[in-house]
Amino acid sequence: MTGLILENVEKHYGSACAVKDVNLHLPEGKLVCFLGPSGCGKTTLLRMIAGLETLTGGEIRLDGEDIGHIPAHQRNFGMVFQSLALFPHMTVGENIAYPLKLRGVSKADQQARVVELLELIQLQEMIDRPVAKLSGGQRQRVAIARAIASRPKILLLDEPLSALDAKLRESMQVEIRQLQQRLNITTIMVTHDQREAMTMADIVVVLGEHRVQQVGTPIEIYRHPANEFVADFIGSGNIFPATALGNGKVSLPGGDALQVPICSSIVVGEKVKMLIRPEDLQLSQPQATAGNRLLGKVTFVRDIGATIETTVECSGVSFTALSTPCQDVGLSVGNPVSVTLPAEACRVLSA
Amino acid sequence: MSTLIKKRYGLLPGETGKFAGILSGFILLLAVLPILTMIVMSFSGASNLDFPPSSYSLQWYKAAWHTFVSPDASDVLSLGKAMTTSLMVACLTMVFATIVAVPAAYALTRCEFRGKAVALQLMSLPLVFPMVVLGLALLLVFDSLPFQITTSRLVIAHVILALPFVVKNCTAAMLSIGSEVEEAAQMLGASPTRAIIDVVVPLMKSGILAGMLLAFIVSFNEFTVTYFLYTIDVMTVPIWMYSRTVSSLDPTVFSFAVLIVLIDFVLIWALEKLVGEGGVSF
Repeated sequence: MTGLILENVEKHYGSACAVKDVNLHLPEGKLVCFLGPSGCGKTTLLRMIAGLETLTGGEIRLDGEDIGHIPAHQRNFGMVFQSLALFPHMTVGENIAYPLKLRGVSKADQQARVVELLELIQLQEMIDRPVAKLSGGQRQRVAIARAIASRPKILLLDEPLSALDAKLRESMQVEIRQLQQRLNITTIMVTHDQREAMTMADIVVVLGEHRVQQVGTPIEIYRHPANEFVADFIGSGNIFPATALGNGKVSLPGGDALQVPICSSIVVGEKVKMLIRPEDLQLSQPQATAGNRLLGKVTFVRDIGATIETTVECSGVSFTALSTPCQDVGLSVGNPVSVTLPAEACRVLSA
Repeated sequence: MSTLIKKRYGLLPGETGKFAGILSGFILLLAVLPILTMIVMSFSGASNLDFPPSSYSLQWYKAAWHTFVSPDASDVLSLGKAMTTSLMVACLTMVFATIVAVPAAYALTRCEFRGKAVALQLMSLPLVFPMVVLGLALLLVFDSLPFQITTSRLVIAHVILALPFVVKNCTAAMLSIGSEVEEAAQMLGASPTRAIIDVVVPLMKSGILAGMLLAFIVSFNEFTVTYFLYTIDVMTVPIWMYSRTVSSLDPTVFSFAVLIVLIDFVLIWALEKLVGEGGVSF
């Protein structure tokens, strides 16, 4: 099987566990994002793939070959570090040429490749500039150019954009993604920023509590979270308890019944967790309850201009609904309100 | 207006009053007093060591120059030879201390090992160890050896004394180098050793140079331990000067001392230029 395969990978530091039971198949040419809160082991996992950490269990295979015993400098993987780790005593050109120099590439070929890469990152005129004299975004690009100079099999990015300000980060996300697609290089990126993951990734691997929680496309992860951890970590969501009544019905803590997609693994009477995204909730002026339309009371309104967040107390649950100014029904705190929870937007989360 | 504010609030943080200025001036004066005395004495026109001298002349510089070029019979050893020994010992000390200190600094910052705290303590032991005891101990060790070493035993002693300074400067330089640059070099294809040579050592450069110069200065000025270890053929400049003072107390010594202080000043100035202010730890 081609691509990078992780099998039962685990890492212990003494008795502390960093990651365990990681089984992944990362196909060729895709951008895979390891997404998770800090301390979930995502960086450790990336460093193990890089060869900078040893595995305490399991196997990492690249195109069928076990690479666990190969030291980092022989793997030919490109890596961009969180601090970028550019060599401050070298110029931009020297930084990019360094991996080529190590591989015994002739001076002329080194020069040609450096020029080619600088054109790619649009920094042609910076070749003799010391790296300390570059802006944050320029350094970022140089770090990427250096990482891909030796045409590595895999590109690893360890939170590469965390040092940039928000605006630059957004544009770099697009830039890196476009570059990755143009070069068609298998890329693994670590991030804790779900927006970044959604923007850039073909496949998102959600990591939490030292294990893989879910693997899927960004939309799958968002629309069909596998469990409460993923539902809670990705986006904002209303997670609420309910009791299964059978026939795709559940009852809320306040007693109201709700029609939801039928989930075969849930038995009648079982307590479950439900998810509905704030943008899926529909608010309207109070009407009689019917179907999935319930009555509630507004407890808080946060109008931040572009969107309006309304918190509604309804059947013993506090829901947050997101609406645009044109959908606004003009509610204020204390008003009664009707809340519609479309059945197809409700998700039953496996416990 | 501004004087009014000053009166009402007194000193602002970061401002110093008159008293602090006077105090620091006084302390500075205390520090340079011996050097000033020495310089004044070296220009003495009298033939005794009275201070202040009754007259001034360049006679001791003339005498010093004379000793340097054509040592008279009463001298056990010429200053030229002592100077050669001093420079050689200082250079060797500088080289060996650096060869030991760079890997040591690397290990002390990068690696976690048992007894690291003890190693750190031991490293700075020569700073607090009584010099006389150290000199005596080394003498006993060297004398018990089945063979005789002369210059090299001075080098060994000086390396021990210089090591804390060199290690300290190299460690300070190491601390500012993140492990990520080293890992980056490895990811780009450099073996761990190559990564150290290509990335870590160049980034440590200022710390290494500072340490080297300090080692040179420590060795060049060292007296107490050397006093136990010198032989009649192999002595350093400070020993030569001392023996000359004991045998014939004349201000020629001060002329030599001025020269040596001048050398030290140039070295320290070079040090500051090299690593910038605050970059050197003594």
